[in-house]
Amino acid sequence: MSALGEVRIRVPATIARGSVVRARALVIHPNERVERKAGKSVDRNYRFINRVVVNYAGQDIAEFDTSTSIGENPTFGFAFRASEPATLKVIFFDTHGGRFEGAVEVKPA
Amino acid sequence: MPEPALTRREVLKAAAAVGMASAWIPRDAAAQGTLASLAPEEPVDKTMQRLFGGRPIRDGASVINLDLPLIAEDGGNVAMSVEVKSPMTPQSYVKAIYVLSDKNPRPLNAKFNLTPACGQAYVATSLRLADTGDVRAVAEMQDGALVMVKRTVRVVVAGCAV
Repeated sequence: MSALGEVRIRVPATIARGSVVRARALVIHPNERVERKAGKSVDRNYRFINRVVVNYAGQDIAEFDTSTSIGENPTFGFAFRASEPATLKVIFFDTHGGRFEGAVEVKPA
Repeated sequence: MPEPALTRREVLKAAAAVGMASAWIPRDAAAQGTLASLAPEEPVDKTMQRLFGGRPIRDGASVINLDLPLIAEDGGNVAMSVEVKSPMTPQSYVKAIYVLSDKNPRPLNAKFNLTPACGQAYVATSLRLADTGDVRAVAEMQDGALVMVKRTVRVVVAGCAV
């Protein structure tokens, strides 16, 4: 079962030290789309992910400004240089004040 | 399935987490999802004008690899990836990648801010596309230079108003 705000991060099984690797992060989230009635957008406080922060070894390496036009249960792929054994964190923020964080240990060989 | 009862510790932890979350977001959390806080509904040309002004945009066919399906069965979830062939050093790197969908009422899907620590200017996500049309990726270099590519995606079932 997946609950709202659950974050999963995937990194390659083996990582060479200093190499550039690609990771993918997923958050379980409705990422609401704007409703329309008679061609007009309905105004209410939509709940969607509007900011994603990627943090590696304590440093913010990327930040994404996102919108309602990203699919439900958003996934984000990105690259980072695995320079040292450290924690890779991805933090998702939504418009209702939600903060969802996931972390994996990166262990370059 | 019955919900497990919350312990006092869990409740306190959750309350602390909520407090942390609101401290992390400087903007007013209560009204962040209203139409006023979204990008305006506008044609893509206006969005381009708003984002880049009159700055020249070069053709990026040789440096940007924008990967999208030719036909998207479900416009609500279209896999997309962008890779910009560029060094990622403090002297020369891709500062941001913008992804825009021409036919969406609010064309800017996302803006990806990158740093040299990324090692590679690569991003991927799943887009919502309202209709058949072009999707564009614009890469902004650290010196402000802009390059762009477009790809047409045929959308079978629209991702609705996005």
